[in-house]
Amino acid sequence: MTYVVTENCIQCKYTDCVAECPVDCFYEGPNFLVIHPDECIDCDACVEACPADAIFNEDDLPENMQHFLGINEELAQVWPQISDQSDPLPDADKWVGVAGKLDKLIKSVPGEMQ
Amino acid sequence: MTVAPKYAPSEREQKFLATVTNGKYDRNIITGLKKFYEGTVPQDMQGFYSPQELEAIKALDGTDRDLQARMPVKITRHYFEQALRSKAIQTLVKASPKETYDLDGASDPGKQMSYSPVEGLIHKYELGLIYVASTCSAHCRFCYREELIAKKDVERPDGTVAPKGLAKIGAIVAYILEHYRLVNENGGRHPTTNREYLREILMSGGDPMVLGNKNIAQWLGALAEAGIENIRIGTKELAFFPDRFDATFMAMLDAFHDAYPQVNLRMMVHFNHPDEFLLKDGDGNYTAHPQGGLEWIPATKRAVETLASRPWINIDNQSPIIAGINDDADALRILQRELKRNGVENHYFFCGRDIVGHKAFNVPIERAWHILNESQKGLSGVEAHARLSITHYKGKTEVAAVTNKPFPGVPGGENGVVIFKLLRSAADAPDRCKVTIVGRNPEAIWFSGYDDRVIMDEAELYSIYDIKPLSVLAAE
Repeated sequence: MTYVVTENCIQCKYTDCVAECPVDCFYEGPNFLVIHPDECIDCDACVEACPADAIFNEDDLPENMQHFLGINEELAQVWPQISDQSDPLPDADKWVGVAGKLDKLIKSVPGEMQ
Repeated sequence: MTVAPKYAPSEREQKFLATVTNGKYDRNIITGLKKFYEGTVPQDMQGFYSPQELEAIKALDGTDRDLQARMPVKITRHYFEQALRSKAIQTLVKASPKETYDLDGASDPGKQMSYSPVEGLIHKYELGLIYVASTCSAHCRFCYREELIAKKDVERPDGTVAPKGLAKIGAIVAYILEHYRLVNENGGRHPTTNREYLREILMSGGDPMVLGNKNIAQWLGALAEAGIENIRIGTKELAFFPDRFDATFMAMLDAFHDAYPQVNLRMMVHFNHPDEFLLKDGDGNYTAHPQGGLEWIPATKRAVETLASRPWINIDNQSPIIAGINDDADALRILQRELKRNGVENHYFFCGRDIVGHKAFNVPIERAWHILNESQKGLSGVEAHARLSITHYKGKTEVAAVTNKPFPGVPGGENGVVIFKLLRSAADAPDRCKVTIVGRNPEAIWFSGYDDRVIMDEAELYSIYDIKPLSVLAAE
């Protein structure tokens, strides 16, 4: 099992979860974070840490967020690991809670051309 | 809760921490039963629970007998593979409706919260215990930290109710330093608790070994800087995922030892049954090693050897004696023999605690003593160091002897007596090695099973609950 970062992290990236994660299993893209499903130890600490309520236990993943399981798995393979909390994206507070942000997700790997 | 002071590592500490890298681990953990219900676990795990077992468990979901709410179900790939050939391991790790048939028990056995001066710290003896993680790689069904792992509310001495929190480095270091200051000012003893220096800290949880190397290193560095001489790591990871003790972890420990050579590391490991570390042949028998002893699971052997090869690391095993898992003298004899041969000291065996649902797991005290005693017949003196301990509110208590010689005039005395010896007591240990003698009760699984048959109570295991010895009652 694993925990899964879902849509409400897009354009926000508060990274409070990263500070809580005991095993550094978060990976960072330009405007989203993902959890590496094989490294997550199911400790539950990130769920409450997330100001955007974007993280779910795989078993509690809402029906309309199921596709994020694959997105987390895919992007954790290519994005760099993040171990320390950093500042949220500048417009995080504006984007938090906005529906339908998936089309804003930037999947590019930092340092590589899109 | 007060805000933890920001912790600032020293220069030496920073130099050590800069060398540490995190390893990559693929534990392949399955948490919860949903994937078993839905049949989406890997093919070879499909039959791990029978359809009947799953149905019986599912029927309890959402009720007050919900097994997953009592204790989340969790298993690693490695442990699953060992479970396939071991009934004992299956009992240890598989949820079973019998866990909640009887909900009798205490949510905070040993009243640990009354020994907690700072969130995440239990300061009972000269040893302090800190909770650094709230999960393990897999979960023992008999876990007595279920309140922490399952994040249940616990009542504190001040009456507030909240889940147990984890220790924070800044707050723990501040507490240790303040304790030292008070002890120093008062000529070697704490002015109110009479405790001495805090020389030893046990990192516990959950299992500290689920944390990354960097996170563990921060704790080690901070505790060493604070003056702690001995650091214990309480872990079952040798059984659940031995590959966690990889080159990156050992490099971190070696760098720690280079920076703090005076600190002794004590790995407090947790094997319940030899099936957790020995190879079995096709017939389910252990196999003899050509050079003597028995063949180990290679990954576990590697992990134990790499730890045991470092003289500044001690390895001690402790295990409860649990019904259906290791209430078996032959299994315990092999366990003690093989561990000692491979550099693991046999420390304590425990009677199960009176956690909620404990009746499914606990072996009667007198039977546990008998099993351990039988297991130690045929062991050499150094192999048979382990004692049977039961954790009284006052401290660790040895079940020192169970006799068969009748002691007339006492309930249960026709069968003999049980002798408890207090091994450790809180604070300055005024009652160390005092004994309590009770008439026998073969059914008793906790101290309370002897309330009506206390013969002599020098250790005051009963008088602190206002329970009087029979001679006192007769005189009244």
